[in-house]
This record gives sequence, C-alpha cells and structure tokens, in this order.
Amino acid sequence: MIPLSYNLRSIVVRRTTSAAAVIGIALVVFVLASTLMLSAGIRDTLSRNGGVDSVVVIRKGSDNELSSIIDQNKVGTILSAPGVARSDGDIPIGTGEIAMIVQLAPTGNPLGLTNVQMRGVDPTVLQKIRPRFRIVEGRMMAPGTDEAIVGRAIEGQFEHLAVGDTIEPKKNLPLKVVGTFEDGGSSLESELWADIDTTRAAFGRQGIVSSVRARLDDPSSFAAFEMTVESDKNLGLEAMTETEWSDKQSQFLSIFVTALGVIISFFFAIGAIIGAMITMYASIANRQQEIGTLRAIGFRRRHVLLSFILESVLLALTGGVLGCLAALGMSFVKFSILNFVTFSQMVFKFHATPSVFGVALVFTVGMGVLGGLLPAMRAARMSPVEAMRN
Amino acid sequence: MSLLRLAATNLRRNLLRSLLTIAGVSVAVVTFLMLRTVIWAWNAAADEAVPDRVVTRHKVTFIMTLPHRYLDDIRQTAGVREATAANWFGGKEPNHPNEFFQALAVDPETWFTVYPEMVIPEEDLADWKTDRQGMITGDVIAGKFGWKKGDTVTLESNIFEGEWQFHVSGFYTPTKRSVDRNTVMFHWAYFNEQSPGKEQVGWIISRTQGDPNEVGRRIDRMFDERDIQTVSQDEATFQRSWLAGFSAIIYAINIVSVVILLIMMMILGNTVAMGVRERIPEYGVLRAIGFLPRHLVALVVGEAVVLGLLGGLLGLGLAYPIVQEGIGRWLEENVQGFFPYFDISPGNAVLAVLLAIGLAVLASALPALQASRLGVVDALRRVG
Repeated sequence: MIPLSYNLRSIVVRRTTSAAAVIGIALVVFVLASTLMLSAGIRDTLSRNGGVDSVVVIRKGSDNELSSIIDQNKVGTILSAPGVARSDGDIPIGTGEIAMIVQLAPTGNPLGLTNVQMRGVDPTVLQKIRPRFRIVEGRMMAPGTDEAIVGRAIEGQFEHLAVGDTIEPKKNLPLKVVGTFEDGGSSLESELWADIDTTRAAFGRQGIVSSVRARLDDPSSFAAFEMTVESDKNLGLEAMTETEWSDKQSQFLSIFVTALGVIISFFFAIGAIIGAMITMYASIANRQQEIGTLRAIGFRRRHVLLSFILESVLLALTGGVLGCLAALGMSFVKFSILNFVTFSQMVFKFHATPSVFGVALVFTVGMGVLGGLLPAMRAARMSPVEAMRN
Repeated sequence: MSLLRLAATNLRRNLLRSLLTIAGVSVAVVTFLMLRTVIWAWNAAADEAVPDRVVTRHKVTFIMTLPHRYLDDIRQTAGVREATAANWFGGKEPNHPNEFFQALAVDPETWFTVYPEMVIPEEDLADWKTDRQGMITGDVIAGKFGWKKGDTVTLESNIFEGEWQFHVSGFYTPTKRSVDRNTVMFHWAYFNEQSPGKEQVGWIISRTQGDPNEVGRRIDRMFDERDIQTVSQDEATFQRSWLAGFSAIIYAINIVSVVILLIMMMILGNTVAMGVRERIPEYGVLRAIGFLPRHLVALVVGEAVVLGLLGGLLGLGLAYPIVQEGIGRWLEENVQGFFPYFDISPGNAVLAVLLAIGLAVLASALPALQASRLGVVDALRRVG
C-alpha cells in the first residue's frame, strides 16, 4: 500500500484547492448534521413528557387535547380503574386537565399573534403526576386563584409573560404570572399554566376537562387500566402511556424536518461531490510524473486506485469533522416552531447525539469515495511510461 | 473580439473540468430554486389574499366560537358590504380516516358572495340553498372519494359526535390556483341543530369598503364591552399570522440558501484559480505582445462568467422538470393546505441565473487580480 503520509502531504501542498473542497464538504455536513440534530431535539423534547408509568386519557378519535372533551363526572370513574397508583390516604393519583390555546404577541412584535398552549392544572397534585416539575423562579401558584406560572422555554419570548407581569387572556380576567417552571426539558416548558377552575371559568368550560392524567402503580398495569377504560363504550375514551402520546404529537413534525433536511442534503451532496472531483482531477493531472514513478517502483494499479480514493476520503473527512464541529455550535440555539398537531408554538433545541455525528460522518465518507472514484480510476489507468514522460 | 474567443477556447482546454464546474453550478441553482420556491409558495396564499376581506375571530383563541348574533351586528357595521360565517367541522370520511380535507358549516345565502373565487353553476347553487343537508364540495376531494351529484354521503367529525348525512348538491371550481380544492361546505343551520354549542359561529368574514383595517378596528371596538371580545384582521395579515409560526423554518431555509450559494462560489472559484495557475506562462506572452493587465482581468472574469451563465441556464432548465413538475406537483397533491401551488416564479428564475453570473464574477476576482499583477518577466520565465 502507498503510505498515507504521501496523501497527507499532497493535500497540504495544494492548500488552496484542498481548502475549497474541504469548505464545500464542511458546509454540506453542517447543514445535514444541524437538521438531524433538530429532528433529534424534537423527538427528545417530546419524549421527555412523562414515561411509561403515567397515562393520558382523551376522548376516542381526538388527535390532540384541544379537540378532546371529557365530562368532569367521568374523571372519578377513570381514576378508579385498576392500576392507578394511590397516595397515603388511598386517593388515586390523577387529575383532569384542560388544554386551551391563547393568542399572545411575541416580544417585540405586538401585532403578531402567536398561539401558545395554555393548561388548566390542579396545583395540589401537579408534582405527583409530573415528578420532574420544579419551580425555577418566583413561586408556585396558589390553588383556586388567578395566578399563573409559565414554562421556562417561553418565558420572556412573549409580551407580558415574565414573572411579575399580568396577562389578560380574557377582558377583565387578568392572570398574574408568579413563577417560571421547568419539567426536565419537555414540551410542557412551552406552556402557560393556571389553576384548572380559574381556566375553566375564564373560558366558559365548566364541567369538562380535555384529558385525564394519572400515575400507574407499575408500568405493567397499563394493559389492565387500558382495558377497563376503553371497554366501556359509553365513556368513549382512549388511554395511552405518556410516551405513546408524545410520539403521536411529535411524529409529523419530526418527519417533516428530517425530510426537508435529507432532500436539501442530497442536492448539496451532489454539489460537494462535484467539487471534490474537480479538486482530485486537477491534483492527479499535476501528479502524473509522481504516479508514473510510483508505478515504476512497483506499486500496482489497485494500489494507486486505493491511494487516491483514500486521499479523497481524507479530504472529505477533514471537511466532515469541521462541519460537525460547526453543527455542535448549534446546540446553543433555540428553535421555535409551530407544532401542526397541537396548533401551538413549541421551542426546541438542536440535540447533539452520537448517532447524528455517526450518520454525518458515514455520509462524509460516502461523498469522499464518490468524489474520488472516477479521478482515482483515471490515475490507476495511466501507463507508467506515458505518465513519466510528461 | 479575439480575447473573447480566447476565453471561450480556454474553456475547451480542460473540457472535463469545465463540464464538472457547469454541472456543479447547475446543481446549486436547482437547489437554490427549490428553496426559494418553498418560501415563495408558502407566502402565495397571503400574497393572493383579497384585500377587502376581513376575518373576525375570538380574541383569546381560535378554538372558541362567537355568538351567531355577532354576524348580524357586523352586517350593520359601517363599511361592511356583506358578511358570512363559518364553523370548523373537523370532517373525516369514515372509510379514509387519514385523508385530510376542510369541512365547513357556512351560511349558504352569503358564502359565495364573500368568496367569489369559488364558482358554482346557478342550478347547483339553487339546489344547495334549498336542501338543508346539501353540500358543495371541491372537485379534487370529490374525485378522491368518488362523490357524484345527488349522492348521499356520511361524514364523521373529530370534534362533534355522531354520523352526519349530507347530499352532494354540486361542485365549485376555483378561478384562482391558490383556492383550495379539498373543501366541503354545508348549511350552518343543519350543523347548529346537531352540535352541542347552540347558535355559535367559528369566525366571521366580511367584505369591506374603505380601509379594511379601520373597519376591523370598528368591529373590535363594538364587541369590546360585550361578553366575548374579537380580533379582526385583513385576510393577508390573518394568513401571515398563521405563517409566523413557521418563521424559524423560513429563516433556516434562507440561511441554507446562502450556504448553497457559497458552495457554488467555492466550486467556481476553485476552477478559475486552477486555470489561472496553469496559464501563467501564457499570460506572460500576452502581456509581452502588448495586452494590458485589464485585458487579462477581462479574460479571467469572462471565462468565469461563461461558466456561471452556462451552469445557471442548465440549472434553470433542470429545475423546471425536477422542482416544478416533480416535487411541486407531488406537494400540491399531498399537502395542498401548505402549498396551494408550487411554481418557479419568473422573479426567482431570473434571480438564480443573475446570482450564478454575479457569483462567478466574485469568485474570479482574486484569481483575476493575481493574473493582472504578474510581472511580465517572471511569468515569461516559466515558458519552457
């Protein structure tokens, strides 16, 4: 085999053209890795909503909580189903919640109305259902009052949505923002929460809830719980684990972002492969004598072929690593986007995972091989005598 | 003249490299046009909005409704010529639960006056108005489900319970391509009988006289002291506020468009720089026989411009079948809600070719400068 140091030195000698090819590939890998990171971030954020030991019950056939309506009278029946965990006083751990959408103006754009998910919750059982829920600024709202708390992701992103502010989702029904909460990085951090009774009164939704949430005593109890809740046709309900529910909510958005990224990266890759090919062809044309010499001292055609493909892969990998490093910088960027399923704005992060960079680097090697193959074949086909005569 | 010929001949000297460069530029142009068209198509609905139409909805949230009497109040408002209302039905066809279409409960007397871009034969319209269970449907969705005039159709809703029976009264045809062809409209009165919230409408659309924003403010002021407040926006603003949710994606696409232009410049610049490096001795000869530095600049830049122009035109030629006929038709059929139509606009086509040429000039600037600064003697020394 021709030593790799030969290729490394060749790349360094032809700095300018090498740099052009490397930067081209780095840009492609940056775009690919960033979209993969965003898609991973969407899945990550939405998968943090609870786990397999908590359940969501909605009206059968509803795609989201907004279109789900459950009679308040049914909440007790649902929570008495087998499998629901119970607290010390033998009270089932669960609650009805009401989901609403409010139009708020983004900070600095008072006329642009954006949909924000609002949730009416029971402050007394909140922590038991969502163990990772935590107030990070200000304080918890008091039950039965007109106080509200806001998710960390949207705090300050909208007018009047910081601690101490008052928002007026409905005229003469002001809500005082008293705290900011986090929930382990889940999509709930893009929501505005108020007391369930206050919310229902404000929106004229007395007597109903959107969903019922409960903790299971054990993840294996889900089957029994589901059976009981779904078998009663009069209730007309559907039960899911939080994990399954969040998958349903994120699927479409995550597919959309991935598809967009893959299509763009595909076209980009063709451009970058052509760029690498130009560099490699030129490099080979200038090195005919060297190639002739290599052949003359005993290296075979396949050695030359392999050597030039490796050189192209090296060139690509340099770009690929640079692109991945640049994409890592995106981890600090917040990305706010409308979720088609919930109709509300959610904030996501670019999430760096080993598999994102694995895919990006495999893609890089592929570009290197494809860009180097034809030029390397030309080099391998040269007759040593002809090549040295030049 | 001879200089231009020299520039053109130079491109043939390393034909493979020139062809690869042109291919690279054309791929970049195709990608650029695809991204520009996504943004353009996204905005198309807002750009084609009827300026005198004002949409009034619940101030707090779009999922809550307005009292039906608000429709009459709005009709009495100064500046409103005609008003109509609609409710979102969330329709589903039981046999095709994953097929998305808009189903609206509307006021049959006024709906098509407010939306004249949907045209219905007189006779069908008359049939529809007299049949309480009648419905008018878009031709595309009717074709998908095989609906014919006179058919009885059962729909379900993901909001309202039960099975809903309708009679197909006829089909509308759009006068503009931006009009959705997957919409189903039926009588609000029939909907009102069966739905739980009585005497409610989802939103109210008015055609106005004078400044539509002034009329909108007048409407909102009227309801300000009532039980439920409203927010009124002209149609374009209404559409844009919906698009604003995707502003981060649009921003990202814009960045990516710039990145693709940078890659294009990289490819062009690399090719031009290689050419210049190889031809230094020739430049020496040219200078020695009396050509001036600016002639050399023209030679190098001219070559790059030809590459950019050819790549740009080839890319444009490829973009029509790939972006418009391929991706575009697929998007129109499958996600018409987002992309009512997906065409390469003439503006974007011209922009793409101009950018290919402009970036070629930029990319060749540095190599051209190098060529023009060569000392005649130095350059000639390299002549074998």
